[in-house]
Amino acid sequence: MSAVGSLLLKRAYTAGNTFFHRLDGRTKFIFFWWISIIAYLFYDYVIVTIILAALLILARIAKIHKQIYLTEAVIIIPWILVGIIILSPSAGFQDNETVLFTVKLFGREISFYYEGLAFAITWPTRIGVCIGSAMLFYLTTPLAEITSTITRMKMSYKLAYMFTAAVQLIPILADEVGTIYQAQVSRGLKTDVGLMKKFKNYIALVVPLTLSSLNRVQTRAITLESRGFTAPTKKTPLKEIAFKREDFLFMAGMIAITLLVAYIYLKYGSSPIVHLKYVVAG
Amino acid sequence: MSESREVVPTGAKIMAVVMIPVIAGLNYVTGVIVETLKLPIWGDTWATMLGTLISGIWVGAIGGFLYNLIMAMTVWGLPAWIWGTCNIAIAIWSFMFMKLGWDDLKKPLKLIPAFLWLGFIYTIQCTAIGLYMFGAGPLPKPTAVVYFGVLSATGNQLLAYYLQNVVTELIDKSVSWVLALIVASRVPKRFILAKR
Repeated sequence: MSAVGSLLLKRAYTAGNTFFHRLDGRTKFIFFWWISIIAYLFYDYVIVTIILAALLILARIAKIHKQIYLTEAVIIIPWILVGIIILSPSAGFQDNETVLFTVKLFGREISFYYEGLAFAITWPTRIGVCIGSAMLFYLTTPLAEITSTITRMKMSYKLAYMFTAAVQLIPILADEVGTIYQAQVSRGLKTDVGLMKKFKNYIALVVPLTLSSLNRVQTRAITLESRGFTAPTKKTPLKEIAFKREDFLFMAGMIAITLLVAYIYLKYGSSPIVHLKYVVAG
Repeated sequence: MSESREVVPTGAKIMAVVMIPVIAGLNYVTGVIVETLKLPIWGDTWATMLGTLISGIWVGAIGGFLYNLIMAMTVWGLPAWIWGTCNIAIAIWSFMFMKLGWDDLKKPLKLIPAFLWLGFIYTIQCTAIGLYMFGAGPLPKPTAVVYFGVLSATGNQLLAYYLQNVVTELIDKSVSWVLALIVASRVPKRFILAKR
């Protein structure tokens, strides 16, 4: 497994006693939705970058910045670069009209445009906000609290089980892929090969992984049945959750910022700082 | 000689409940394997197809949707939940292919309509989601060459995005469908809940 793949799969709750860790799971879940929606309201790369910067500061406060910074860097920066290379040249984006600079390549002059560049920065940065807020929720909330959050939101305990079981299963399956991969390499599986061979390698990894996972299904089903999972009784959560003073303060902050954002949006539109022409023109 | 019969000590409902997280987990892990092997596909819907083949349409659809929900809450951020609708569609199409007999590995010609359906029809949904939620920019895959080529030739961003999607999905979903059929044929009978 690549370093990035392992990192993404092995991410789990990071214990801590920061302000963000102490917040109720529901507050963090609302925050996750709230900041993602705000990022999507604006077509303005300066505003979206400010939101992302604020989120990264929160990650620093919650002491989970290393995981979040690395994930953002691995996913967002290459996306922005690919976007700029494709969307900035004249044919890359239908609203390109303001030339930023021109380079000479293979005897041809290629102009790079502001509109394409702005678009290529705005979209990945928005996704960066969504990724960061999701990680902030997920990495600071224990699994038992996520289960309680789901059940307190009036969702079925079966759904809560499915969600937590899937989240628990992922690192287990990731470890198993590692073991299968090592076993296949020791049996002669080559990794530095052509495309068709890579597809064969994919099947060589996926088939044993699936069959071993299915073998676990029955064991889990019997265990659940023996613990009365389908018994017609009221289910109780492992961890009781309740809103605290910090939660109300945090939510008051969100309401205040929502009012400010609504004012800016209604008065100046969705591109209030950089005034992108194609956004203003609709 | 009397035929031996495998006995399942649990009910079908609980088997389905346990199968759903496994499908979500398999989609997640194989998606990362694809990235590790640098394959030009997504690789994160084949388990939805497998779930539909062995446990029925509901298990496949919920497992696939759950995968996207987890992606939304861990790696990709909130908007990724919308791709869950694509996984639901995959479960529906897989069920339809199963009913139409487009799932016979011994008759490869019968698989071709399924490949074409997934490549051209299913892709319309992905393109619409990509357009409204993600700006219809180039996908960060080697098939971005198609996007750039079509865009340079026609200047039509939507067409470029659709055709990049077609190329990516045609390869991805064809490989996924074959893989799901191979694995489903090797699954012990006690796990098969789907009625054919």
